[in-house]
Amino acid sequence: MQNSLKRTWALLGVVAAISAIAASSAGASHKAGPTITIWTDSDRAAAVTKVANDWAATSGATIKVVTKQFGDIRDNLGTVAAADAPDVITAAHDWTGQLAANGLVEPIFLSSAVKANFPSYTLNAFSYGTAVKKLYGVPAAVENIGLVVNTKLAKVPTSFSQLETEALAVKKSKHQTFGIAVQQGSGGDAYHMYPFFSGLGGYIFGTNKAGNLDPSDIGVANPTFLKNAHLIDKWNKEGLISSKVDGSAAQNAFLKGQSAFWITGPWNSDTLKKSGLSFKIIQVPAIAKPSVPFLGVQGFMVTKFASVHGVDAAAKDLVTSFMAGAGPQTTLAAANGRPPANIKAKSSDPVLAQFSNASKGGVPMPNIPQMSSVWGDLGQAWVRSTKGAGAMTAAKSFKAAARSIAAKIG
Amino acid sequence: MSTAEQAELTAVAGARAIGARRRRRPHIRDTWWRHAVAIIGILVALFPVAYTLSSAFNRDNTLQGASLVPTHVTLHNFGNLLHNNVYLNGGGKTDAPYLSWIVNSMIIAGATAFLATLLGAFAAYAFSRFRFKGRRFGLMALLLIQMFPQFGAIAAIYLLVLNIGNIFGPLGLNSLLAVIVVYLGGAMGVQAWLMKGFFDTIPHELDESARVDGATPAQIFWGVILPLAAPVLVVVALISFVFTLNDYVIASALLQTNNHFTLAVGMKGFIGDQYGQLWGPFAAGSLMAMIPVTALFFFLQRWIVSGLTAGSVKG
Amino acid sequence: MSTATAPIPAEPPPFSPGRIARAIAAFSGLPGQIIKLAFLAATNGLAVWAAYVLADRKHWVALPILIAATAAIDIVYLAPRKWTLPLKFLVPGTIFLLAFQIVPIVYTIEVAFSNYSTGHVIGKADAIKAIQVNSLQPPANGRQFEIAPARDASGKLVLILHDDASGAVYVGTNKALTPLAKADVTISKDTGQPTAAKGYTLIKGAELFAMDAQLKAFNIPTRGGSAIQTQGVSQAVELQPTLRYDKAKDQFVRISDGVVFKDNGQGSFVSSVNPKDELEPGWKTYTGLHNFGKLANNPLYRTPFLKVFVWTFAFATLTVLLSFAIGLFVAIALNKKGLRFQRLYRSVLVVPWAMPGFLSLLIWAGLLNDSFGVVNNKILSHFGFTVPWLFDANWAKVSVILVSVWLTTPYFFLVSLGALQSIPEELTEAARVDGGGAWGIFRRVTLPLLLIAVGPLLIASFAFNFNNFNNIYLLTGGGPYTGSSSIAGSTDILISYTYKLAIATGKGQDYGLASAVAIIIFFIVATISGTAFFRSKALENVN
Repeated sequence: MQNSLKRTWALLGVVAAISAIAASSAGASHKAGPTITIWTDSDRAAAVTKVANDWAATSGATIKVVTKQFGDIRDNLGTVAAADAPDVITAAHDWTGQLAANGLVEPIFLSSAVKANFPSYTLNAFSYGTAVKKLYGVPAAVENIGLVVNTKLAKVPTSFSQLETEALAVKKSKHQTFGIAVQQGSGGDAYHMYPFFSGLGGYIFGTNKAGNLDPSDIGVANPTFLKNAHLIDKWNKEGLISSKVDGSAAQNAFLKGQSAFWITGPWNSDTLKKSGLSFKIIQVPAIAKPSVPFLGVQGFMVTKFASVHGVDAAAKDLVTSFMAGAGPQTTLAAANGRPPANIKAKSSDPVLAQFSNASKGGVPMPNIPQMSSVWGDLGQAWVRSTKGAGAMTAAKSFKAAARSIAAKIG
Repeated sequence: MSTAEQAELTAVAGARAIGARRRRRPHIRDTWWRHAVAIIGILVALFPVAYTLSSAFNRDNTLQGASLVPTHVTLHNFGNLLHNNVYLNGGGKTDAPYLSWIVNSMIIAGATAFLATLLGAFAAYAFSRFRFKGRRFGLMALLLIQMFPQFGAIAAIYLLVLNIGNIFGPLGLNSLLAVIVVYLGGAMGVQAWLMKGFFDTIPHELDESARVDGATPAQIFWGVILPLAAPVLVVVALISFVFTLNDYVIASALLQTNNHFTLAVGMKGFIGDQYGQLWGPFAAGSLMAMIPVTALFFFLQRWIVSGLTAGSVKG
Repeated sequence: MSTATAPIPAEPPPFSPGRIARAIAAFSGLPGQIIKLAFLAATNGLAVWAAYVLADRKHWVALPILIAATAAIDIVYLAPRKWTLPLKFLVPGTIFLLAFQIVPIVYTIEVAFSNYSTGHVIGKADAIKAIQVNSLQPPANGRQFEIAPARDASGKLVLILHDDASGAVYVGTNKALTPLAKADVTISKDTGQPTAAKGYTLIKGAELFAMDAQLKAFNIPTRGGSAIQTQGVSQAVELQPTLRYDKAKDQFVRISDGVVFKDNGQGSFVSSVNPKDELEPGWKTYTGLHNFGKLANNPLYRTPFLKVFVWTFAFATLTVLLSFAIGLFVAIALNKKGLRFQRLYRSVLVVPWAMPGFLSLLIWAGLLNDSFGVVNNKILSHFGFTVPWLFDANWAKVSVILVSVWLTTPYFFLVSLGALQSIPEELTEAARVDGGGAWGIFRRVTLPLLLIAVGPLLIASFAFNFNNFNNIYLLTGGGPYTGSSSIAGSTDILISYTYKLAIATGKGQDYGLASAVAIIIFFIVATISGTAFFRSKALENVN
């Protein structure tokens, strides 16, 4: 074995020498000029690249666009190493609270001229603060659900009672088990049911004196709502809505003409256009109060890594000055099939315009971290009270949900 | 069996397995119930697959749980994928390099299956043939380690690969090699147990006679044990292949750019958005990926049924 | 193995390996040595490179570990000792095991003793900086400016400011804000930014974007403790801090009312007046047994625990037993030599297991839908009844088990197929000669031998299903909530319950709590499996 040992050491020596030489020559490469790294999702990647490069042409900066899954942008921001971290991210407004509470995004300021171009609720959606409320992102696109009416099967309702009558008539003639195709499923869907919730007088979090959302004021079972909750039992009994309907069932029912009313959002606009049905999109008619939908605002934020990389000023300029402009806003919003947030930006798509009209008075989803304790319980409150035979009374169901949410938030 | 036939027997992993070749068809009276079991099994097994098929041919991107016939039949889901495009429900299209995903998946799953089986076989051989201190403890530990819930594991693996990547570029984030290496962490798991059990049934006399002939333990491993263990090796390789192919969590944590995604990661993107899920391409893509797996199993079967049982020596 | 009644076999034939075996065996001589040396050389080469890089970056903990590990590997493969022999076969797999299974476990344990959750993600220094930035607020009548960085005649960096509201223009340095004559400064009509100023050269283009640090250093004092700070390259805002950081005492003081915020040892600054009033962000820190205490003391978490545990145990056991029974039965059925279509049957039967799990689960969820799913609509309706598969607490449990069995049976089918091959025909022949019926042969010969081989797999599958998040979450989301607990539904198992605890309570994303529960789950599973193991005959074979 002595020979082979000698051979081994010789081999090892050679390999070690080669690797040492290679390692020493591999130095860190250094780029000149500021580089801005942007994380975005695949739908928006092309638009973001174009807009960012338009900006970079004037600034001499280099743009690096990294495509990630949308949810991963939020989840990975906390664990990414500083060298690979982004300076700008595409974000949904309801991440604001979590990201700000984690100290991962920086507050930004918009000039009054720019601010005037955005509806105040879009700016509110990106604002957060327990003591001092600050703006953390620039809105780019807004989305909300609306009531899609099959105009051949039913008349466009102007009141909720008309909606009820029409829906039940179609249900009877098509031998369906439900009137309005709104998705729930066994997991519940508080987002799609929100227009009904708000129409009955429900709200999620109240606001405190400073105008910030107050997690101790939970309005899931507030007195106004409870007073109107018996309507839910009525709807359940007559089969207007049913929690057994999931996303696919709702879509199939509407597209096959078995339901005249579908509650969905602009993510299905292409499906609607290709369906060949004649339809109109309106806001759900008011019940006891206006039935406003949840608003989702998407936009761009500057991360704390921009300061670490020394490109803070450049990143803020890109986001607050350039991306807030009308032209870039149109490009960015169109990439994802949503209406833009900037009121001066024009969306030429008529279907998207109808969804925009259905957003009047809408409420942005609460962006505070405590919201994560709400979704499941609120969705289940609906599931329990609209599951047909053997359903729980709505008042009881929602009161239980309110108690549970309060216990979870602590 | 005559001595002539016995002498003729080879222990080579199944390829020349006599059983399947030199068969007389058994009488139908004995086998009708077997066919019945198989057919019922196939119906139950393929029942949801039929609906997946229906969703794949459906233009509307919904999951068909209600009817077998799609609302609007189309071949577009398949065609679009093969052209690396996918059209969104809200208009517009997104880049979906499906073929790259398939290639990546096959590379990762194939390499992992091969290497994991090999590493597991090494370990199984050691536990089966050697007696050493800590052997029982080691075996128990192998089993127990696999039981730890993988909750925080993903964050840890992400950070680990990130740091390794800072030292060795090729093993960093977004590389297929890194993903393979991470999967090999599970090579000495339950499958090693299965192989050890199989190795235990290979009689020690074979080891002895080879040793008498002057073989080292390594030579016994490669020359005697492995060929005889072909059935279990194939089973383990197949299990490893399928587990790796279907894994989403580790692949999605480590792979960053679209072109490097595996099938599971890439296609999860179709249904990842909360709204606007694209079930059509998802179903189509999954079904197309099933074809190589099923074909693989079909061809590997002959190796599972080896000539081991025919006339080998057990005592 | 009992061969008491078996006929004594003839003299074993000499072992004659086939072609492939000979080819592989050929490797074991000199070529094998060379391959072994090559691998060792490569490993050592990589280790040297890594050591160089680690030393370069001053990782003084990782470096000795790397050196020790490499030395250990070298000893195992080169030193001609007897005890290195088994190690030679164990080392390759163990390296990967340590790196990618053990290290994550250690990490999880570490996280369980920390407060890693929403609001506690960054380090303390970063948190203090972020709190200070967040505390800046425009004062009453605070002004906002469009700016243009410029150099004055002496080359010093200044800011030209244009007040949005009043239209006044100024030049600002870190010492003061000096008004300028409006005539001297040209303002762009659309953006409001200064584009030229008499006596100053404006900085434009690439140079502007490269002076991040200098721009941030601007802090133009104005009245009352406020200062103007830049926000990007074209804006500045007058801001006033609302909190003051006292470095000596490590606390924040609110300027308006003097309330003190102290470090509470759990990763936040909280007000000494009202402990619920905390400054965000907090930071990640060790909190010891705090997470475990939370689990034990909070009735919200504690009460459902037992119920969920019992169901998890039942679910895992039933899934494994049923899958094994059915899988074994089908494997035996299709084990007949010469059966027509044998290979086709087997290939098709493996499809449920080879399909991506979450696709199958979601399809099943659709199929089992009460009103629209095919199972109720088309199949059972023929028999005149429907089953509330996913909406009733008990039927949801049945659905979950049935679907899990559907998913797991092919695995046991495959494994049984392989294991059946290892049972020698002589034994079954002998038992038949002894006069046993098919069931008797199965019970006395096949099953015991099979259990020895497959036993550990049953236990491992039990552990896998104990922690099978997907099967539960994708099918029922944790199941119908009966109202007795708001976190745990009727089909929630421990792992999905943990997930909900972590993601959907408090502020969400409580990884510290989730890791603590993971450790507890591990102890439970390991205890059950270990006990089953010791009591089963499987361990006998280990000897």
